[in-house]
Amino acid sequence: MGPVIDIRRVHRVFETDAGYAHVLHDISLTVETGEFVAITGPSGSGKSTLMNILGCLDSPSSGTYLLEGLDVARLTDDELAEVRAERIGFVFQSFNLLPRMSVLDNVMVPLAYSGCPHARREKLAVSALTAAGLPVDHFDHRIGELSGGQMQRVAIARALVNDPAIILADEPTGNLDTATGRMVLESFHRLQAAGKTIVLITHDPGIAAEADRIVTIRDGRLHREGSPTGALDDPKGGAR
Amino acid sequence: MSFRDLVRESLRALEANRGRSFLTILGIVIGIAAVIAMTSFIGGVQEGLIGQLGLNASRIVRIGYGAGLSDRDIQRISAALPDYEAVEASVDGYAEVKRDDKTLNVGITGGSPRLFEMTGQAKPVSGRLFTDAENDAASRVVLIDSHGVRLLFGSPDFDAVGKTVKIRGRDYAVVGVFEGQTVAGNDSYLQAIMPAETVRKDFPSGAGDRSFNVVGLAREGADVDDLAERTKQKIAEIKGVTDKDEDEAGIWVNTMKSAIGEMNRFMGSFQLIISSVAGISLLVGGIGIMNMMLTNVTERIREIGVRRALGATRRDITLQFLAESAVICVSGGIIGTVFGYLVSYGLALGASSLGIAGGFGGQEGMAITPAINLQTILLAVGISVAIGLVFGFYPARRAARLDPVECLRYQ
Repeated sequence: MGPVIDIRRVHRVFETDAGYAHVLHDISLTVETGEFVAITGPSGSGKSTLMNILGCLDSPSSGTYLLEGLDVARLTDDELAEVRAERIGFVFQSFNLLPRMSVLDNVMVPLAYSGCPHARREKLAVSALTAAGLPVDHFDHRIGELSGGQMQRVAIARALVNDPAIILADEPTGNLDTATGRMVLESFHRLQAAGKTIVLITHDPGIAAEADRIVTIRDGRLHREGSPTGALDDPKGGAR
Repeated sequence: MSFRDLVRESLRALEANRGRSFLTILGIVIGIAAVIAMTSFIGGVQEGLIGQLGLNASRIVRIGYGAGLSDRDIQRISAALPDYEAVEASVDGYAEVKRDDKTLNVGITGGSPRLFEMTGQAKPVSGRLFTDAENDAASRVVLIDSHGVRLLFGSPDFDAVGKTVKIRGRDYAVVGVFEGQTVAGNDSYLQAIMPAETVRKDFPSGAGDRSFNVVGLAREGADVDDLAERTKQKIAEIKGVTDKDEDEAGIWVNTMKSAIGEMNRFMGSFQLIISSVAGISLLVGGIGIMNMMLTNVTERIREIGVRRALGATRRDITLQFLAESAVICVSGGIIGTVFGYLVSYGLALGASSLGIAGGFGGQEGMAITPAINLQTILLAVGISVAIGLVFGFYPARRAARLDPVECLRYQ
C-alpha cells in the first residue's frame, strides 16, 4: 500500500493587489499510513496554506497531490467536498463546533454530508465520542455547557466519525491550558495506536516533539525534516 | 443532505433567531392574510348568494305584463321559445290571521311544485313540498316559513308538520316548513306557500287565470339575455304592442344576470384593492426576508466554512439557506392564514349587520359565512414557499460561493 499523502513539487501562488505572493515553494512530502507527523514553522511560513491543500480546501497552483493514490487536483468542487466528507477529519484550534446544536448533533454533521443513513448515524457518533474520551452523560449537552478540553474532544470525535484516512489538526492545543492540551495529545496517541494517520500543525516545538516525525517549513520552503530527537535528514527534505 | 436534515436545520436556525424572524415575516403575514381574507370572504358571499337565490339563479328569467298573462299566453310563450326548460306562473294572495289578540299578515305565494323547485325558494327544512296531484286538485295544503312557525305555534322548533292552520275560516294542513327570508324582528308577517290552484280558488284577486309574475327557467347553456329579449318580443307580439311602447305597455323581463353582474363588479374592485395590498406587502416582506437572510449569511460565515470543511458541497449550502428562508416564509404564511380567516369573519359580520349584501344583489340580512377550503390554504402555503425561494435565492447563492478557506479564517 502506498503512502496516504503524497505531494510532489507543490507550489501555491496567491494573486493579491500588490502582485503575486509565492506562499509555497516546491514542497514534496509523503506521509505513510499510521504515521503521526507534525508540520511546524513560524507564523507566516505557509503551514496553514499547506494544511488547506492537504485538507482539500485549497488546490495547489502547480504540482500534484495524491491522497491515497487519488489525484486530487483533477477533482471537481463537488468531488473535493466528497473527499473532505469521507477521507479527511479536521480538528481546529478554535474547535469550530456549531453552538446551536447538541454534542451528538455536532458529531453527526459530517454523516449528513457523506449520505450516511439516519438509522446508523447515532451509533457511529456515540462510538466516535467514546473513542475521543468524552463521558457518556455529556452527549446531549449543548456546546456552551462544555469546557475547552471537552469541546476539543467533541471536535476530535467529529473528525473521526466518518473513519477518515487522515486527521488534520491545526493547532489543536492552541486554546487549551497545558494539562488539557496534554490530554488532547494523549487522545492523538491513542488514535495513532488504533491505526489512524495524523498530521498536526503547530508552531510550538514542544507539541511537535510528540510526533514521530517533524517537518519544518520556513518562508514557504521545506526547511528540514527529521525525528523529534534532532537527527536530521537531507536539509532540503522532500526527495526521499 | 436529505430533506429531513434540511428541515431540521432550518427549524433550529429559526428557533435561534426567533425574535428577528418574527419581525421579518410580518410582511408575509399581512400579505397572506389579505389573500386569505379576500378569497374566503368573496367565496362566502358567493355561497351566500347561491344559497339565497337558488342554484339556478343565473338561469332564472322573471317575466311580467301589466295586464297579466293568462295560462294560454304562458303556454304560447313556452311553445314559441324552446330555450325555456319550463315557464311557470306564480300567483300571489294575502290573508289575515288572528292569533291571541294580534293580527298576523300572511303573504301567500301560489305555484306549481315545478315553480318552487326551479327557484329553490321553498326548499323544505322539514316535511315536504306539495305534489302535482295536490296542485291540480286545489288541495288545502300549506308550507309556512320557520319564522311563521314561531308566530303561529310559539316556538321556532315546534314540529308544525301535520298540524292545521285556520285561514279565513278554512283549515289548511301544514305539509312542510321552509327557511323563508323574513327579517327576524318582524312580529306580524309570515310567508305561506300553497298550490296555485288553491290560491286562485280560495283567495281570488279578481284577475281570473291571469298571473302577474311568471318565472322561466332557461335551459343549461342558453344565452339568458338573448332569451329575455326574445321573450319581450314574443309578449309584444301576443299582446299586439309595437316595439316602441313595450315599456309603457308594462312588459318587463328580468334576469338574475344583472344582479350577478353587479356583484361581480363590486367583488372585482374589492379584489383589486386587496390584491394590491397583498402584492405590495408580499414584495416588501420578501425584501425583508432577503435582508434577514443576508445578515444570517454574514453572521454564519464561519459556520459555512466549517460545514464546507466537513464535506458540504456548494449545493448543500445553497439548499440549507433556501430551506431556511422557505421555512420562515411558510410559518409567516400559516400565521397569515389564521389571521386572514379572522379578518374575513370580521368582514362577513360587518357586511351582514350593515346589510351591505344588498349592494351586490343579495337581500338585506343575508348571512355570510366565510368559505374555508383546502385550495385557499394550499395557495397561501404555495405563495409563501415561492417567496421564500425567490427572495432566499440570492443570499443562499452568496453563501455557497464563499471560499471555505476565507470563511474559516473569518473572525
